[in-house]
Amino acid sequence: MWLEDVWLRYRRRGPWVLRGTTVHLAPGEAVVVLGRNGVGKSTLLQLAAGVLRPTRGRVADRPAVVGWVSERFPADQPFTVGGYLVASARVAGLSRGEADRAVGRWVDRLGLGPFHAVRLSQLSKGTAQKVGLAQALLRPPGLLVLDEPWEGLDADARELVPQVVGEVLADGGSVLVSDHRGETARLPGARGWTVADGTVVERAPSGAGAVAVVELEVPVPQVADTVARLRAEGHHILRVRGHTDPAAATRPETGPPFEVAR
Amino acid sequence: MTALIRFRLAGFLRTGRALAPVLAGLLTLAVLYGGGRAQPAEAYGVSAVVLFPVLAWQTKILLDVEPDVQRRLALATVGPTREWVAGLLAAAVAGLGLVTAALVFPWLVGGVTGPVVPGDRSIPAGLALGLWGHLIALPPALALGALASRVITRSAGYGVAVLTLGVVGVLVIGRTDSVAPWLAPPVMPAARALAGAISGPTALALTGWALAWAAVALTGYARARHRRP
Repeated sequence: MWLEDVWLRYRRRGPWVLRGTTVHLAPGEAVVVLGRNGVGKSTLLQLAAGVLRPTRGRVADRPAVVGWVSERFPADQPFTVGGYLVASARVAGLSRGEADRAVGRWVDRLGLGPFHAVRLSQLSKGTAQKVGLAQALLRPPGLLVLDEPWEGLDADARELVPQVVGEVLADGGSVLVSDHRGETARLPGARGWTVADGTVVERAPSGAGAVAVVELEVPVPQVADTVARLRAEGHHILRVRGHTDPAAATRPETGPPFEVAR
Repeated sequence: MTALIRFRLAGFLRTGRALAPVLAGLLTLAVLYGGGRAQPAEAYGVSAVVLFPVLAWQTKILLDVEPDVQRRLALATVGPTREWVAGLLAAAVAGLGLVTAALVFPWLVGGVTGPVVPGDRSIPAGLALGLWGHLIALPPALALGALASRVITRSAGYGVAVLTLGVVGVLVIGRTDSVAPWLAPPVMPAARALAGAISGPTALALTGWALAWAAVALTGYARARHRRP
């Protein structure tokens, strides 16, 4: 996914929150967005999630299924936890049966079982945040956007966020996380973007756990062999795509039919 | 999209705020039909005029009852267009409920009668005309309510101002001697037409006028939503 020369301001003649931002987020990649309060982290995240539209520039190749966890869960709604999650799953396009199964799975996973019949307005902040997290995961997201996901969560639940992020990445999804409390250490290997003065600067990944995405081109008949050989060498194949991919054809630098990492 | 419409209707109906417009609607109808028996078509014309503000207000309440962040969550899930269309369709369903109540109500309280003198319309004809009168008021009312909703006006004061100015505009601009009647939806002209012998072409013209006005207002709403997620 790309943000291409994205400018954003909230009002006509208002100040620019983001100026000429261009960033790329590949499948299977996690990015942590850092920056001081009020600098535009949430704005950047909401642009990526498709909540905000750029004033200028464009967001390209956003995955079809986006899960967005807002900074604060909107708990002022007349639903129970179970009722809200089933309705959210239905809104996300799941059938009745699929919705019930997905809700059952995430309610168990996040320890929301005892709160199933509790009204949203009666939840504690941390439990409400878990409902917000569950809501974004009911349909496996191609892009998961987490705005301060550790806020208000207890110690056990804090460990869940990196697990969930890891699963989305393993399924070939991308993850964008904002954080101002230094919890980022829980996501080893994530890239870092620093937002300051309306621009986004890439912070080079450091440490032995850092990974990079290598894109390489392989003749079609040798695809299977190459993939098998790279796997044998311990590399992680993110995806294989053909030359017909129209999105790739428009960007010469990502034209190659292979993406390989780790 | 059906799921989002249902979700929003449920959110609207489960809060006490749905009661206010319903009570206001019933109260206006009670006052309207308290005077005596009338011919259905004519009475329904007036009913559509007095329900217009209630329908617009109900639309605003339905759209405003959902927290801003929840609206944005829906937007991230279904995309911008389906998000705002679903909101309007939920309001349309709620509006149709109120319209149904308005059509049934006078028969329950004896506010209307069947044909009395020769030349009076039959009951089905009166009902059909009444349904038409309410249905052409509904899209403009939805559009006005949407333009007055919090996501557009951003403050309660402006929201009430848009709603009030819209309703007063409909009544004032809709007067017989109006200079620019097309500035407002044809709620008043439709009521006048229903009081007399309404012709097919007139009904068609009024329907087109109402839909065109609603289309222009809703285009404005859709454009404003670009910057107001």
